[in-house]
Amino acid sequence: MFRRIVLSTSLILSGFALGVSPSPAAAETKAGQRVTVEGELVDTWCSVTGIMFATGTAHHQCAIWCAVGGIPVSIKDKDDKTYLVLRVGDDDVSVANPKIVKIQTHQVTVDGELIERDGVRYLLVDKVADDKGIVNLTHDDNGIVPFGE
Amino acid sequence: MLASALAVFAAPRAQGAESWGIEGERAAIVKGKVVDLLCEISGRCAPDCGGGTRQLGLIDADGKLLPAAKSNTLFAGAVVDLLPFCGKTVEADALVIESPRMRLLFVQKLKGPGDKEFKAAEAFGDQWTKKHGKADEWFRKDPDVKTVIAADGVFGIKGLEPAK
Repeated sequence: MFRRIVLSTSLILSGFALGVSPSPAAAETKAGQRVTVEGELVDTWCSVTGIMFATGTAHHQCAIWCAVGGIPVSIKDKDDKTYLVLRVGDDDVSVANPKIVKIQTHQVTVDGELIERDGVRYLLVDKVADDKGIVNLTHDDNGIVPFGE
Repeated sequence: MLASALAVFAAPRAQGAESWGIEGERAAIVKGKVVDLLCEISGRCAPDCGGGTRQLGLIDADGKLLPAAKSNTLFAGAVVDLLPFCGKTVEADALVIESPRMRLLFVQKLKGPGDKEFKAAEAFGDQWTKKHGKADEWFRKDPDVKTVIAADGVFGIKGLEPAK
């Protein structure tokens, strides 16, 4: 497990308050758990269902198609835990967000807020702390299939 | 290989949700309220469920929140289909995926309040065609996809090309 809880409850609350822009809903804001997550940005549907077996380079084009098509993007860590991304920085756009689309299948480290509900780990990313690019060169084993051509 | 893989993605339009043979899948009519996921879990709300900018889901009869990850358009999500029903209760003819990784909803057909018949959840494809014109495979013609692929290639690494 690579997820690390990085702040205490008091810091959670203060940090969250700083990260939320003023809005009528702010008073109803529910705090999550401050975390750092490292993993690969993946297409949620393909990855969770196992329809797309490949990762990294062999998954890249498929992941771009799905992200542009509005399928949620997640981060899958080395323990196969999957975190559905709903926010990036101050940007609440989670449908085809260009910031995410252009780094699909990259290995990233993000800081953010984790809220778990009904079997889903939702991640509100504050910042992408590190981007190693694509590190899984799966084309060596799988060629460009599927969806590469 | 690609053709067979795409055939898997293209769910037939039969009565009832079509199985994809996915581990943990369950065909079901899920009745639930359409919600903005970010608003629902964190209180960061926006008018009209974000107007298409945010991921959506259903709160089912048991009060469980289910993210809607997939529609019946190839490689497309369900936001465009669900958005007109923000805050309303719909019936989704769907596959519920119960995975240890995550619970997801694949919306294949949708029935809104007052609708007599289910309608295929293909609004993304319809909207794309209106904007860009008819294409057999929208994802190969989409300008945003082309921009990203042109920058870094199909493998996402500049200079790395498919074997000839």
